Amino acid sequence: MIIGEWIRRLGYLLRRRKWEDELRQEMDSHRAQMGAPPAFGNTLRLREEARDAWGWRWLDELAQDARFAWRTLRHSPGFTLTAIVTLALGIGVNIGMFSLINGLLLRPLYAGADDVFGVHSRSTMPSGRNRALSYPNYRDIREGTTDIFANLAASFTGFVGLDFGDGARSTYASAVTANYFQVFTAPPAYGRSFTAEEEQPGAGIRVAIISYSIWEEHGADPAMLGRHVRINGEQFTVVGVARKGFAGTSIPGPGVWLPLGAHETFSTEDGTRRTFGTREAPTLSVVGRLQPGMAAETAAPALATVGRRLEQAFPSINAGYSLAMSRPSGRLIFMPGGSGALTGVLLMLMPAIVLLVACLNLADLLLARGHGRRQELAIRSSLGGGRSRLVRQLLTEGFLLALTGGAVGLVVSTWATAKLVASLGPMLPVVVSLPDVGLDWRVFLGTVAFSLVATLIFSAGPALSLTRRAAAADLKRHAGDEGRGRAGAGIGNALVIGQIALSLLLLSSGGLFVTSVIRTAAADPGFRLDGGLVVVVDPALAGYDEARGRQAHLALLDRLRTVPGVEVVTIGSRPPFMSSGDSRKVAPFGFAQDEPAGADDSRSTSVGAVFSVVGRDYARVLGLPQLSGRDFRDAEMVPGSGERVAIIDDALAEKLWPGADALGRLIQFLDAKGPDARQPIRVIGIIPAVKHSPGNPQPYPHVYVPLGQHYESAMTLQLRVAGGVSEEDMLSTISRVVRDVDERLPVLSVATWRNHLNASSDVRLQATAAGVFSAFGGIALLLAGLGVYGVKSYVVSRRTREFGIRIAIGAHPRALLWQVLRDGGRTTTIGIGIGLLLALGAGQFLQGSLYGVNSIEPVVLVTAPLILLASSLLASYIPARRATKVDPMVALRSE
Amino acid sequence: MMLVLRVLKTQPLHGYAIAQRIHLLSAEQLRVEEGSLYPALQKLLIKGWVKAAWRASESGRQVREYRITPGGRRQLEAEMAEYRRMASAIGVLLDEA
Repeated sequence: MIIGEWIRRLGYLLRRRKWEDELRQEMDSHRAQMGAPPAFGNTLRLREEARDAWGWRWLDELAQDARFAWRTLRHSPGFTLTAIVTLALGIGVNIGMFSLINGLLLRPLYAGADDVFGVHSRSTMPSGRNRALSYPNYRDIREGTTDIFANLAASFTGFVGLDFGDGARSTYASAVTANYFQVFTAPPAYGRSFTAEEEQPGAGIRVAIISYSIWEEHGADPAMLGRHVRINGEQFTVVGVARKGFAGTSIPGPGVWLPLGAHETFSTEDGTRRTFGTREAPTLSVVGRLQPGMAAETAAPALATVGRRLEQAFPSINAGYSLAMSRPSGRLIFMPGGSGALTGVLLMLMPAIVLLVACLNLADLLLARGHGRRQELAIRSSLGGGRSRLVRQLLTEGFLLALTGGAVGLVVSTWATAKLVASLGPMLPVVVSLPDVGLDWRVFLGTVAFSLVATLIFSAGPALSLTRRAAAADLKRHAGDEGRGRAGAGIGNALVIGQIALSLLLLSSGGLFVTSVIRTAAADPGFRLDGGLVVVVDPALAGYDEARGRQAHLALLDRLRTVPGVEVVTIGSRPPFMSSGDSRKVAPFGFAQDEPAGADDSRSTSVGAVFSVVGRDYARVLGLPQLSGRDFRDAEMVPGSGERVAIIDDALAEKLWPGADALGRLIQFLDAKGPDARQPIRVIGIIPAVKHSPGNPQPYPHVYVPLGQHYESAMTLQLRVAGGVSEEDMLSTISRVVRDVDERLPVLSVATWRNHLNASSDVRLQATAAGVFSAFGGIALLLAGLGVYGVKSYVVSRRTREFGIRIAIGAHPRALLWQVLRDGGRTTTIGIGIGLLLALGAGQFLQGSLYGVNSIEPVVLVTAPLILLASSLLASYIPARRATKVDPMVALRSE
Repeated sequence: MMLVLRVLKTQPLHGYAIAQRIHLLSAEQLRVEEGSLYPALQKLLIKGWVKAAWRASESGRQVREYRITPGGRRQLEAEMAEYRRMASAIGVLLDEA
């Protein structure tokens, strides 16, 4: 009934002109039939009343308002352009942030996500532990649940070295069944999915599907299909490119997919092969899409039945486990620590503050402009324009501005965000498929929402305040009169104060980060940076076991030593500043000997220290002097060298044996497992401490054990080039030499120390934050400057007559200049005062993410206000100059 | 609106004829102003209770004729029943007073 009504209303709207014509004809005919004297009323009014019955009057008025607004705005292009640019900046940064959040958090990972469930075996014990599934179990479940799941796929994820011929990079990878892409109804964009044959355990068919973002990173080459790449040293053929933005069940998603049959390409951390294909090896995550119309409530018990059958058929492995369904785990968000998360939240708030500044600025502009338009408003209101209609008109004008600004912002920010994300790819330590941050309906909706919110903030206030006084009295006044009273100027000043305070907040936050970045870069790391090169290798990624891995490490060391220009070479598991430290609890041997393991270890004098496996010459490469004792020997570079030995740094020595000589004493690792646990280890050398991370000024305790006594696959070769040789020039030589030693060896990175340091996530988070905060601060500064300029210009133009009179009676122009500047200075000072309080508060929040910077940082707290003060003085100087140039005759004649 | 539906119940009519007819049927007691007739007709159209079509009148003039729809008849019956109930209630009240 209601729907029919609306369809008829819409039909009317679409064929309006025809209806109107018909109505006129009808009424004409009616009038004619009445004969003389025609008692028929005013046809136009009657027609209007009839038209109103259709309920489209608001639309007409809206169209009228929009048309009128368009004309008005076109007549003042300067104002319009300023407003649009201001809004484009304010809304643009918000859209940018929103599309990032949208791409990471809001956008569904795949179509029809409601029907996709993860399947795992769950222990029937009260603890209810979840377990992955083995391939035979998965096959049985798949065959037993064809009536429940339209598709049931299995996958295994891990890291591989992916090499397009330009060096291997550690890449997040997933080995999947043939139907995996069907579950997500996301067939590859190009090429094909995997076949059932390729899925079979042991098939070993080396084909791969790469992610869209990796494909784009490699030039979006159409000839990518059929190209050979190396994965963990083995040659694979690219057979497909995944759909844009496809990530499987997680964000960020894999950069490359392999068929399950090529599963053995993956290796474990210590270089052993994974067992696969037997029922006893539960390694697979299983995910499936329900049959159409199948409810999760019906599916779960049916799945449990299949689980019981499996339990009976293979009790040795399946006893005590049933099958359960759950939502596949969603998104991984990389947030380094608690303080990082806080920085993240603040980063997300910054755009909102920028928008607020933009809105305050515009409100100001509108107020100033509106006072110039009071005559127009007064005329309209005296001609019968209701206040609500006038307000609506002003709001429409504002919304038109906001939408235009929003559209411009959308274009710019989409471009900028895409660039930002794309630039992130090569910088990340591992290759993943980047989330798609492109446009979708949410971003469009977001843009409209931001525009609407902005409109309400910047134009509701002025619209209400202007129409309140749009009285007949205004008609009589002259437009050039100084009608705006003290109250009006007060609102304008309050808006300017708000802008300045918020700008200062953004500027000083940016300043804190910039200071932090500068201090980090300039900080003494505690070792020599220049002339250093690093080569990161991981033999396990090529499927090497411990024996072959050790061989590879040693072969590289030997070969690199002979390269001309290389002064000294060493190897280490955890070079300084590579943050993610493997920490151990170290205690003097014998101290906690009698206590039960674990119980009271933390109470004892154990010291947390970064644990590193290193080669010979480690201290020499870092430019550290041997404080006492000796370096490791060649014999200690291979296993089975007898007594366990370690080198510790003076920070650790001081903590373990304060004031005493640590050399020759025994230490032990309290929390180590296996053969390392609580074995006596003799301290054979002491070297100076290095910092653990770029920003932490406190040297962190380190303990170094020789290469022969502990095996880790991923190692970093560290070189120092001879004096007079540029380390940049050596990069290509070193790359070639490493490749010559073992072509299959995944080389994850060859870089100079400095670049390596700059690529560390700590440093990059800082640099990004500094860039973003400074950009926002800069935008806010620009907006605040414009705001001051706008208000001052307005004030000067209002007081033209007053200035004219004062000049006429002999006031010195300089005095007028000072007066305007002083007024501006007062506003700015109040704004800066409030802004400083805000900045101090923000500093407290940011402190955790800052290195070597106090929350009260004098440099920042002085510089930022000075910048603001200078720009606001400049912004009021220009109008003030104008005040002194007032020609008394012109000013007086304006009466 | 009820009056318009009532006169359309027996035959389709154009605007002027509707006004005439109401005037006649009410024994010249009621007169419908054009100012209320046309908005009322639009509302009836929106509700879907009448349909309009152009037709040549006896005098050769093009007139728009309104025709009641089945929905309109149902509505008329419902409104008439309601009116009668009210009228009789008011009648009883007035008689007793």
